[in-house]
Amino acid sequence: MSETKTHSIDISAMQRDQQTLRIEDETKCLSVNNLHLYYGEKEALKGIDMIIPEKKVTAFIGPSGCGKSTLLRCFNRMNDLVDSCRITGEVNLNDQNIYAKGTDVAELRRRVGMVFQKPNPFPKSIYENVAYGLRIQGINKKRILDETVEWALRSAALWDEVKDRLHESALGMSGGQQQRLVIARTVAVKPEVLLLDEPASALDPISTLKIEELIHELKADFTIAIVTHNMQQAARVSDYTAFMYMGDLIEFGDTNTLFTNPAKQQTEDYITGRYG
Amino acid sequence: MKELMTDHISQQFNNELEDLRQHFLTMGGVVEKQVSGAVEALLNSDSTLAEDVIEEDSTVNQLDGLIDEECTRILAKRQPAASDLRLILSLSKSVSELERMGDEAKKIASLTLSLIEEGESPRGYVEIDRIGVMVNRMIADALDAIARLDLKQAIRVAKKDRDVDLEYNTAIRSLVTYMMEDPRSISRVLNVIWVLRSLERIGDHARHLCQHLVYMVKGVDVRHIPPQEIKKELKKES
Repeated sequence: MSETKTHSIDISAMQRDQQTLRIEDETKCLSVNNLHLYYGEKEALKGIDMIIPEKKVTAFIGPSGCGKSTLLRCFNRMNDLVDSCRITGEVNLNDQNIYAKGTDVAELRRRVGMVFQKPNPFPKSIYENVAYGLRIQGINKKRILDETVEWALRSAALWDEVKDRLHESALGMSGGQQQRLVIARTVAVKPEVLLLDEPASALDPISTLKIEELIHELKADFTIAIVTHNMQQAARVSDYTAFMYMGDLIEFGDTNTLFTNPAKQQTEDYITGRYG
Repeated sequence: MKELMTDHISQQFNNELEDLRQHFLTMGGVVEKQVSGAVEALLNSDSTLAEDVIEEDSTVNQLDGLIDEECTRILAKRQPAASDLRLILSLSKSVSELERMGDEAKKIASLTLSLIEEGESPRGYVEIDRIGVMVNRMIADALDAIARLDLKQAIRVAKKDRDVDLEYNTAIRSLVTYMMEDPRSISRVLNVIWVLRSLERIGDHARHLCQHLVYMVKGVDVRHIPPQEIKKELKKES
């Protein structure tokens, strides 16, 4: 945007937060090249090409069965667990194809963490939930664990609420707190990417807002990809939005433009509630 | 405008938008009649008609409030996006334009009453007649363009505003000369000038209606772009 100064009011400074983002200007974190995915005979992803920009929030929207969760799960090879699933094409994490032979899938899933719709804390204490990933990595030093647990809980905006009951069971927390605990558990192992699959759809509106606020804070440190059925939520939390339909990526662009003036009629119909 | 308002899965939402459209066009019709009535009252020295025009302003104000409320309610309840959002925003702004047009018409009607009271020579009335016809045409065409979402017509109407401005400047020049020749006429001619000024403002508002329509349909803000460059701007964006 050009420099605009009027009566010593710096208008371009006011526009700073509203500037249209350009995907071309972003550093890519994940890039997807011609990705096809089949569940048996059924082609669930029909040649997806896109990038997930670093330290930005990318939202995936689309009707049920459009392939958005499937695509999200490709980013840390969760689909490997599905028997009939076959994948062609590439997903590159910092220029390394995660589907290349010899990829350490456990390490990949540390680098690309995932949070699901239903909060799934382990039946352990709050502290142990967050420390779990570290212990698996063989870290047992109390000082390091303490520090990391506190850092992770602070990152998930949960520390103040639980600092006095770290050793109580995580199952006694509210749904919203449990979901933030799961996020804390995920960030504790310092991943590069956070995948959120409907992270707030089982939560009440206030807990939802807390999660959304958290997403906004987390993008300073992590690349985030979120699947959501709530279009307003996608509009609120994301920098970029991808609209998918029947396994195709229909439109991908900066969220402000996509929600005010989408380029494709299909996108327009979906976000204005005209889909049959 | 109909095609923008149908086909939502929510029939209720369709109905709300249809109501909004009806109310907006009704208000447009009232304002159109108000402006033509004000000019006619002045040209025919018809004080009854002038009083009707003044009276009608309260209808316009009520419609303004009603439509604004409808827009607020839809924003709060439906969280419209994309074309729906643009429709609500531009209608909400267009309603303010109509309301101001109504105010200007009311002003002309009040000035008409004083002019009738003074009851002297109809100096400047030819200009008022000419500009009045132009402005009325603009309002009718602008409303028609909105009803049919006709961008070509909207751009054509917006361009017409320049002709009104030119006529207005010419008229002012000749009236100023007249006042210099005959200072006794100043107070009366000033009233005529205020009328011309109001008509010129109404022309501006009609242009704004067209510019809001461009945003509604294309999502491009052309409020501060000269009408003759709107087409170019739209090409650039697409």
